[in-house]
Amino acid sequence: MIANEEGLRRLMRMSQSGDKQAYAVLLEQCGGWLARYFRQKIAPDAVDDLVQETLISLHRKRASYDPSRPFLPWLAAIARYRWVDRLRQSYRHQTEVLDHHDAAEESHEEVVGARISIDRLLDLIPLPQAEVIRIVKIDGHSIADACIQTGQSEALVKVNIHRGLKKLAALIENE
Amino acid sequence: MNKKMKQPFDISQLVDELEPVRPMNIRRALILPVGMTVAAIAVIATYAGIRADLMAGAPHPMFLLRAGTLLLMGLVCAATLLAMANPGVGRQGHGWKTALAAALLFPLAATILAIAGQPSGSSGTMQSGIQCLTFSFIGGLATAIPMVLWLRRGAPVAQEKAGWLTGLAAGGLGAFAYNFHCPFNSVVYTGFWYTLAVGICALLGRLIVPRLIRW
Repeated sequence: MIANEEGLRRLMRMSQSGDKQAYAVLLEQCGGWLARYFRQKIAPDAVDDLVQETLISLHRKRASYDPSRPFLPWLAAIARYRWVDRLRQSYRHQTEVLDHHDAAEESHEEVVGARISIDRLLDLIPLPQAEVIRIVKIDGHSIADACIQTGQSEALVKVNIHRGLKKLAALIENE
Repeated sequence: MNKKMKQPFDISQLVDELEPVRPMNIRRALILPVGMTVAAIAVIATYAGIRADLMAGAPHPMFLLRAGTLLLMGLVCAATLLAMANPGVGRQGHGWKTALAAALLFPLAATILAIAGQPSGSSGTMQSGIQCLTFSFIGGLATAIPMVLWLRRGAPVAQEKAGWLTGLAAGGLGAFAYNFHCPFNSVVYTGFWYTLAVGICALLGRLIVPRLIRW
């Protein structure tokens, strides 16, 4: 079952009122949504951890959801924040090829999620910075690989990663 | 806490912990800095006194211009800041930039007058300037504390921006409170000391606040 904006919004309102049954469904659906949201944006073995961290943030910060506003942009802001935080803190090597078994689900959400996607966030920073973040922090390659693929020097790759992550952190709420 | 969590994740644990929460509302939040600004004005009036022209019921135009500009900037920055507690992709307030640009007219005008060597009234003394900084800072601190506490409850995602805005809002409202005492009407005095007060508060906000609101 695919989560939709109206359904999630209603569940969140009920959860804020203390409805545990609604909250269980909400967390379940948000977990699935987040797994798809993060897929291909971080090493596969880190997706589960990131989903968990985001759900815990959702739990801790649930009062910050304003029921008069859409739910998914709120969840996406929390998710982007956790994602950028994770990129800044850790690096995991990725060798596995990403599968696409949920392509149908992703296309279903494409219209709703395009403006709040992580790809959109990466599009907002300069290309040289986005490139090296993708190569090193998301795809898990080394700095040396990034130098070869982009033609940037090692120092420039490091600077671009640092500056790019800083910009990403500042642009979390941008569409 | 999150990084160390290696045990199997159990949604039911979060469900068990669920308690009803009151959604954070910016209208409720704005009461805090506004209330603290009123309190700061009361304290400054008690300890330092109110401007003579205000007491006489005939405020000088500079007082009104300064008060309006500082209040506008402080409130717009505070509203933008407090709204950051409720994040959302696509939610961005830019009004504070306009209010800040309007406030920058004072230092700009002061610079032009100073360069042109035109008389602009008493520029005060170092002592009066330090008093302006001190009162503005104390008033700003009083308004900043509840705003930071509000942000800590919320989920601000742009913490550097939140730091700047905290300083600008607090500095603007603190200087607004001091304005009720400040006896000087010079553009140069306003453009230098008030700008310095707000600028220092903004810098302190940028340096201190992000680490207080990280989550």
